[in-house]
Amino acid sequence: MTGPCAIVGGGLAGFVAHATLRKGGLEPAEIAVFGNDPDPAAVWRVRAAAIRQRRMRSESDGHCAPSSFPGLAVRAALRRRSVVPLVQTVADRYHPTVGEFLEHAEELRAETGWDESFSRARIQRVRAVNGGFELDGHGVFANVLLAPGHPGLAFPEELEGDPRAVHAYEPHDYAEEIEVVGAGMAAATEWLNALTAGSAVVSVRRREPERRPLNLPRELFTRRGLAGYHGAPAVDRVAFLRRYGAPSYPPGPAWDEPLERAGRDGRFRVAMEPNGAGQVICATGFKRGFRHDPLLARLVAEHGLETVEGWIVLAPDSTVPGLTDAGRTLALAGAPAQWAFPAADTLVGAKYAARGFLRRVRAWRTR
Amino acid sequence: MAYTLRGRLESRVAAALAPLLAACVIALVVKSWWPVELAALMLAVGLALDAVYHRLIPYQPGWAALPLGLLELGIVMGLARLLDVAAPLAAALAFYAGAWLLAQVLAHAVLPLARLSYGDDGGELGRPGAAVAGLALVVLGSAVGVAWATQPPLVRLEAGVHEGPLVLDHSQRLVGEPGAVVRGGIVVTADDVTVRDVTVVGGEFGIEVDGAERVLLDRVEVLWAELDGINVRRSTVTIRDCVIREPIGSHTQGIDISFSFDLGPSVVERCTVTGGMEGIVTHFAHALVRDNLVSETALRAITLTEMSMADVEGNEVEDALGVGIFCGDYSVCRIEENSVSGTVADVESGDRTRMGFGILSHYGAEATLDDNRLRGNARPVGSFLRASISSE
Repeated sequence: MTGPCAIVGGGLAGFVAHATLRKGGLEPAEIAVFGNDPDPAAVWRVRAAAIRQRRMRSESDGHCAPSSFPGLAVRAALRRRSVVPLVQTVADRYHPTVGEFLEHAEELRAETGWDESFSRARIQRVRAVNGGFELDGHGVFANVLLAPGHPGLAFPEELEGDPRAVHAYEPHDYAEEIEVVGAGMAAATEWLNALTAGSAVVSVRRREPERRPLNLPRELFTRRGLAGYHGAPAVDRVAFLRRYGAPSYPPGPAWDEPLERAGRDGRFRVAMEPNGAGQVICATGFKRGFRHDPLLARLVAEHGLETVEGWIVLAPDSTVPGLTDAGRTLALAGAPAQWAFPAADTLVGAKYAARGFLRRVRAWRTR
Repeated sequence: MAYTLRGRLESRVAAALAPLLAACVIALVVKSWWPVELAALMLAVGLALDAVYHRLIPYQPGWAALPLGLLELGIVMGLARLLDVAAPLAAALAFYAGAWLLAQVLAHAVLPLARLSYGDDGGELGRPGAAVAGLALVVLGSAVGVAWATQPPLVRLEAGVHEGPLVLDHSQRLVGEPGAVVRGGIVVTADDVTVRDVTVVGGEFGIEVDGAERVLLDRVEVLWAELDGINVRRSTVTIRDCVIREPIGSHTQGIDISFSFDLGPSVVERCTVTGGMEGIVTHFAHALVRDNLVSETALRAITLTEMSMADVEGNEVEDALGVGIFCGDYSVCRIEENSVSGTVADVESGDRTRMGFGILSHYGAEATLDDNRLRGNARPVGSFLRASISSE
């Protein structure tokens, strides 16, 4: 197989890229998608269900469609025949339900011809060749977007192999007494879930979580904030990514009031270390860094790509500088693309990478 | 949206393009340049504020468009008044509201659809942004150029006394230098004439406007007129900041606007009229009479009669003989926030309708009153011969 475009990774980041390329005029047959599951939301769905997530942290623009309008608030307003979602969205208070998001993803999957482009295959090696990239025996493609997703769930070292420990993103129930390790969005969701289930909860954390509506300050989702980030030296970028990689969850009484009530009732407290509860839920996110992903680790090793600590150095448009020129493009999307876009592991981040990739594909087609 | 400065400016210009074009079309229809002036003012204010917003608002949530829009509206309307943009208030507000709504639709729907990275780029439009800016400049430049090229010629009247009557029979702007005096009157018979900063002495009519539209009489002073200080027939005028004083005839009127009911409304504002038989009078006309000072008249201070439709607002009427404000002969008058004082009875006339009424409705007229201050008049209010007076 050869072709103009390939997307390695069949999750949400790959799905967003596919939809963006389709919006840009490419036919499904011109885009090859390689992934494990034809349902692009399969992995995300399991994780959201595991933490009993009901609403998205992202706002109206947190969807998979290539253009920000119409967002999920507009769709909800039309479906419910109510202006309430629109009023909420102008105040940045509209958070679609997980059900609405998944329904939208299903619709988009059908609209964009995702299944025509999709092939079930696990790409383990990407090799630069003349005029493109050879994908592990599946052909040569001039433009390739790698969206491998998170490289795995992160456990604290001391809890690796501990039978009491379960990761928040794995299916689980709640014991009478639980400890939740972590202080981000997943941890906060688990505190509330467990309290609702009647458990007593110990929040195990070594620092107080930051309270932010989104993962990052809003200006960092556009060129306004990104210009400074892209212009910063590597050491500053690393410091920045570390700072904003620290756990955070949104402010508001919906989070605070149940915790305060439970605290008064003696059902919620904070501790620095796990202390022998029957169940330990590790809301500690994902492994970080390209070295945890065999595909990326091999890509870096075989092509001598520039890296800084755990990040692959990317151009501002999420392309890999050493392997991108007028004749071919290699780009990253999702969590591994943080060097270009700090919120790369969000839907907005996936779109950012996808739009950059589309620009490269268009330029390649007209060269 | 977290706009970049360039994004704000490009989005602003893109949103201004359609209103600019619409303003040009409206200007052609209404034969007045205020729509273009207003659109240009809106754009200029918006661009200037964008530089301020950029510093103060790193991220602009959707709801902020409303207070920012109101702020810009206030500044635009204030500047329009300061710069004498002759935009009717309701039309100006409607134009602004339409342009604002269009800008919201563009920013939240059309531009994100047309340009996928609109949000990522902080509102920047890339190459099309430069084209849009160029197009807006061309439209604005063309409109300003046409306006400049077609504006009436400017005629300066030097200081000193000029023998009249001066007849203005083609469109022009007659502007007097300090000390410019016309003796024997000015006659206006052409549309789109402006007379500014001129003193007129003597003549049957100080200034006569006959069969002309869109005439502006600005800061004129009329002395010693024999019949009318300013006489307007079959015309539409705006008369503002004028002074009419020292009439020399026993029947002299300050300002008389007549027989223009089928034309657009005329405006008399911020004038001072002293003495004469009637101060400001309309016959069969549409008129807005506001913020004038009329005093010492011998018949009536402000008269709206012969089926006139008039708004009389914020005037001060002092020491009139017989009647202060008169709404007569099937006219419809809205009389609000005026101050009428010292109206005395004309006992010698023996006329019951002239017994010192502050406000009088007469012979089938309908006067609606609101918030007028009537002090020291022989009689505050009266109505005769099937006329009505009501309060809002």
